Amino acid sequence: MGPSGSGKSTLMHCLAGLDQPTGGTVTVAGRRLEGLSDDELTRFRRDHLGFVFQAFNLLPMLTAEQNIWLPTELAGRRRGGRADERSDLRARFDQVVDTLGLRDRLRHRPAELSGGQQQRVAIARALVGGPAIVFADEPTGNLDSAASAEVLAFLRRSVRELGQTVVMVTHELDAAAHADDVVVLADGRVTDHLTEPTHDRLVTALGARAA
Amino acid sequence: MRTVLLASLRTHTRRYGAALLAVVVGVVFIVVTAALSSAVRDGLVAGIDEPYAGADAVVEKPTADEAATLLAAAGEEGADAWLVGWTMQPVVRGDDVVDTSADVGQVPAAADRRWQDLEEGRFPSAPGEALADVNAAKAAGIRVGDELRIGSGADALEVEVVGLADSPSAFSSASVYVLWEDLSRWRDSLYVSSVAWAGGGDHDAAAAAVRDHVPDAELMTVDAFVQHVQKEVNNEVDVIAVVVLLFTVIALLVAVLVINNTFAILFAQRTRDFALLRCVGASRRQLVRSVRWESLALGATAAVLGTGLGLGLGHGLVGLVRAQWPGARMGHADVGAGWLLAAAAVGIGVTLVAAWLPTRRVVRVSPLAALRPDDSTSPRTGAGRRRVALGLLTVAAGVAGLVAAVATGGYPVLMAGGAATFLGVLVLGPVLVPALVRAAGPVTGRLLGPAGRLASGNAVRNPRRTAATAASLLIGVTLTTAVLSGMASSRSAVSEAMDRQHPVDMAVTGAGTVPADLVRRVAAVDGVAATAPVRGTTARVAGIGETPVLAAPALTDPDVRAVVHGDELPAPGDGRVLLPWDELGDRIAVGDRVTVAAGGRELTLRVAGGEGWGTAALVSPATLARLDRDAGLQAVWVRAADGADPEDLAGSLEAIAGPVEAELENGLAQRSYVDLQLDVVTGGVVGLLGIAVLIALVGIANTLGLSVLERGREHALLRALGLTRRQLRRMLAAEAVLLSVVATVLGSVLGIAFAWTAVQAVVEPAVAGAGLVLPWGQLALVVATSAVAGLLAAVLPSRRAARVAPAAGLALD
Repeated sequence: MGPSGSGKSTLMHCLAGLDQPTGGTVTVAGRRLEGLSDDELTRFRRDHLGFVFQAFNLLPMLTAEQNIWLPTELAGRRRGGRADERSDLRARFDQVVDTLGLRDRLRHRPAELSGGQQQRVAIARALVGGPAIVFADEPTGNLDSAASAEVLAFLRRSVRELGQTVVMVTHELDAAAHADDVVVLADGRVTDHLTEPTHDRLVTALGARAA
Repeated sequence: MRTVLLASLRTHTRRYGAALLAVVVGVVFIVVTAALSSAVRDGLVAGIDEPYAGADAVVEKPTADEAATLLAAAGEEGADAWLVGWTMQPVVRGDDVVDTSADVGQVPAAADRRWQDLEEGRFPSAPGEALADVNAAKAAGIRVGDELRIGSGADALEVEVVGLADSPSAFSSASVYVLWEDLSRWRDSLYVSSVAWAGGGDHDAAAAAVRDHVPDAELMTVDAFVQHVQKEVNNEVDVIAVVVLLFTVIALLVAVLVINNTFAILFAQRTRDFALLRCVGASRRQLVRSVRWESLALGATAAVLGTGLGLGLGHGLVGLVRAQWPGARMGHADVGAGWLLAAAAVGIGVTLVAAWLPTRRVVRVSPLAALRPDDSTSPRTGAGRRRVALGLLTVAAGVAGLVAAVATGGYPVLMAGGAATFLGVLVLGPVLVPALVRAAGPVTGRLLGPAGRLASGNAVRNPRRTAATAASLLIGVTLTTAVLSGMASSRSAVSEAMDRQHPVDMAVTGAGTVPADLVRRVAAVDGVAATAPVRGTTARVAGIGETPVLAAPALTDPDVRAVVHGDELPAPGDGRVLLPWDELGDRIAVGDRVTVAAGGRELTLRVAGGEGWGTAALVSPATLARLDRDAGLQAVWVRAADGADPEDLAGSLEAIAGPVEAELENGLAQRSYVDLQLDVVTGGVVGLLGIAVLIALVGIANTLGLSVLERGREHALLRALGLTRRQLRRMLAAEAVLLSVVATVLGSVLGIAFAWTAVQAVVEPAVAGAGLVLPWGQLALVVATSAVAGLLAAVLPSRRAARVAPAAGLALD
């Protein structure tokens, strides 16, 4: 976490293979990302990573279900692949949809969903492929407090119940308080690293930087 | 607001590129048409008066006999008379046929009446000498001193080319000029456009002298005659210019759709800008005025560019034609200020009209829209029920009109019905086009996988935009398909008529009995597919003179069957004689009884008319036997191989026919001439429509390009989720191809339907049994071309879209 302009999103873009770092190395799931071609990066992303963005998360012309299937479909895993893989995917899809409470929303288009529901669809999409890491960039940035709490709870549940690693970028203390591990950034540098932080410790960490 | 306007023009210039191009092409089209028609007019009008210099009176279109009378009378009265006219004759040099049908005209004998401009050698001074047109001579490789044989059979004339000359005017030009003494032998086939009379000093005296010999001559002064011809020329050029401008209107209509779409998309993208301006205090009126000024600036720029480019292109084309084809009689281009102003006004007008509706929509933007998140990419509702009802009603009215047109054959009803049907389809576009795209979706999905499925989803997300883009292409494709199918149908109808007029490709007819081995020698010629021997004799036909009389062959003879086109062959009954239409006239008419004499026998036969076998009379075999018991081989009828060149074949046959005093009838040349004309008309119309199609493709590229800008974030998201660059490019290409193919298929269906109704309503009454003939190859080419063009239209936008890195795309505003 960190304030605006601290470099959180840039760091995440580099970690997630959306952008190439100008220096240093990035290793995700045992794979060195720097020096990979655009196509290799793209394939790595769709096979090993999941994404939840702040806004523009969903394609407007696709239904919620189509949006959830999108990455696996792009990778050709949904229609191609072996039968047992397809049934695994299907089972995971059902599990994720039920966990996120989206069963009765699957046929809706994004414009017919509330902000919180849209983010839940995005989370489902990120989880369904069974990625190594889910990257969430300010996932609650556009939501009211109730919806925020709901989305954070779902992210939390996916960590606890599905064993999913989630890397979240945020500048909100409440959101950061849900994490097991918090790296605090300011002006492009790491200023603190907290494990199992409480609200107070986070305030202190940010305050120390501010002082 | 001026700062806003200027800044907006600066920022959005590139996005207006396609709209600008569409208007510029339309304006260029107008100016080039004006330049070319002015040059053609100038070239045709120039020098019309020169052949009549020094004349006191001009007789318009006398018969050949009247002209001969006048030319003879002038000599007796000490006056001068000369004619401008032609006869079409084959010209042979040695064994080499120079031209199977060259126009032969007169060169006056008197030195001060020769109107041809001598370029080399001298004028003919005695019979047997000829003057050749310098351009025709250059094309055929004729030089001064060459010996030519003009005409065939008994009328053939041997001449020496003594000079080369140019004609001052297209209306007096011939390929070869000879003296009247030589020309008069072809009096039967001579067409005289005018006779000039000089003598008596003034018009009245000359007119009186002419009337003495030809009482009902159409007399005019030289000035009046020249003005009369100029007026005719002007009218003809005007008609052509109007036809071409009709295609300009179609192109501009397409341009309106493209510009309208551009503005609609741009304004949708700028909704937040407009709302922000409203927030900071711009009134609605200020906002509308600002965007209208923007469209005016666009129109004015296009008008200036278009007139400039058009002038350059027009003058360049005219200069090119003058330099490359000096014989083409292209004058100087002179585009009047009126044309330029009109072209510019049309360009500006079209832009303003096209921008009018979208600018009205700008007014409705509420200031609050600036504060809401950007939702320009969310799907909009498509067509209301009212639109569907209106569209269906218009289509129904149009179809009713078409049905009425088929029933009554009424031309205006046909046009109105077609226009209404098309308009209805355009109104239904936002429903129809997306439905078709959805129907085609599974195909692209199967072919291209997820990229294809996304493409078909993208193609229908904004039904109005999709429909407008498709409509622009629809117009061009519908018209092209209709023209191609209509032309193919007319061609087959015409071809049936040609079968009747020219049942044989070539006929070699002897003046007397020809050697028996002629059949074998003709059959051996390259390009001859089949031959049939025809028996006959030479007879005197009262009122015509010596003429070959042939026994009409019967179609039941397999040799004849193999030679004749179609299923009909004129079969005169016993006691009848079929004479070629050319031989019938004042002296003999259909239904007359004429005496036909051969070898001391005489028969009286009833006359009927026919054509297609050359200058011979046809009788039944029994009648021929009564005329001449020993009738031998007199003619050989020839069927040319498919694709044989009429000139080459005629040359080879002439080389065989000449030495045995036989005449050649070339029906194949007529047939290929008609084919060529149809080809030229089809090519010309399709070429002119091509400009409308070109503008439409610019429109597709434009819509796609602007949509790509709009969907930047979406593409970034797709890339983040695992769409490779290639898949992204493929997705956009598939979207463009889907759009263009759907528009093309819809257009082809409409076009074929229109062609069918047109054939039923217009061609069928004229040529019984004419049906719709579909040129499948050409239609497939149209679809393939538009698919490829759609692919090309996607190249630039998809490259631009794929270049953006996912992270950069996500950070887009």
